[in-house]
Amino acid sequence: MSESTFMGVERDRIDWSPRIDFTKCNDCMECVKFCPHQVFEVDENAKPKLKVKNPNNCVVFCRACSKTCGPDAITFPDKAKTTKMIKAIRKAEKEASTNE
Amino acid sequence: MSKSICVLPCNGLDKCAGDLSRRVALQLAQSEEVALICPVLLNQNRSRYEKDLEAGDLTVIDGCNTRCASKLAGDLEIAIKEKVNVSEVAKALNIKLGVEIREDEQTQTVVSAVLEKINSSAADQAASEFIEPESIDYNTFSHGKFIFKVPKANYYFNENDCWVTVSGNIARVGVSDYVQQNLSDILYVDPPEIGQEFEQFDDLGSIESGKAVFEIIAPASGTVVAVNTGLNDAPELVNESPYEKGWLVEVQLTDFAEDQDLLHDCPAYFEFLQRKVAEIDV
Repeated sequence: MSESTFMGVERDRIDWSPRIDFTKCNDCMECVKFCPHQVFEVDENAKPKLKVKNPNNCVVFCRACSKTCGPDAITFPDKAKTTKMIKAIRKAEKEASTNE
Repeated sequence: MSKSICVLPCNGLDKCAGDLSRRVALQLAQSEEVALICPVLLNQNRSRYEKDLEAGDLTVIDGCNTRCASKLAGDLEIAIKEKVNVSEVAKALNIKLGVEIREDEQTQTVVSAVLEKINSSAADQAASEFIEPESIDYNTFSHGKFIFKVPKANYYFNENDCWVTVSGNIARVGVSDYVQQNLSDILYVDPPEIGQEFEQFDDLGSIESGKAVFEIIAPASGTVVAVNTGLNDAPELVNESPYEKGWLVEVQLTDFAEDQDLLHDCPAYFEFLQRKVAEIDV
């Protein structure tokens, strides 16, 4: 069984992945070349060509692809809010398990 | 006559950021100590610049985040001593560069700020209060031809493979053995600013090899008090000694007890890393 977690929290409960501003994106695909986790997908026949296909493959807190983006079209959620959310989930789970 | 600094600028002549890189490079080249390197010629015929590169340290000026100039240096395995990104300097000044080439007050402000950044020597930092342990014991495991080291105690890791170790009131931050092996030869360390305050999981500079850029994700919150200046001349220390001589940043911690909730101790990271390496082919 391959289940993905970040600090014990199931990955799909953490909202962390790149958001693309297609008014800025110039289809250079540097982000796709850079990311080793297959977060992006390119469909030559679609418009836009670029898609965030596997958001949960994205490494939580990594924003490295946005640094490869010349036109600065990639943003991420707020780190402080994400940290807070992860802590809240962990706390709730701890409490739930001690109440059992 | 040998020059002591080589400047490799972005060659984006059709865009504002590239034009500013050119303006900065030309101003720097007025100094006798500076040799200008044309990226196009360097790419075509490196030997043309071999003498300059041997005699001088390389300063790279990237126009935007495509970082063509940095990547060219990386591809040719030329160590970068200093680099600056025109678009990032502009962003910090709240100036939108856009595409169109223009010569006005705003672009002049950016040019001046970039020049200042290049000319300012590393900020003074106080003598380190960190007490280095005499020796560190490691656990190791192997995966294929790779052997990974993790200290046995006193280091804490986030799941982004960055560590923090505390000595008294001061802590050091660095990257794990896994990161340095993944990146292979580190060519450049981009440290954070001294005095910078940061939260847990904020960016704390980056390290770069010919393969990729790796962002340092802060394992704990704090304030930067020092950076490892030894890495300016020897970024390979991160490869040779990722947990000791290759430390990256010295920090005053804000609330380590709180931050530890989202960190692994050494045995837990050792297990985490074994699972991670088994899942991803290194």
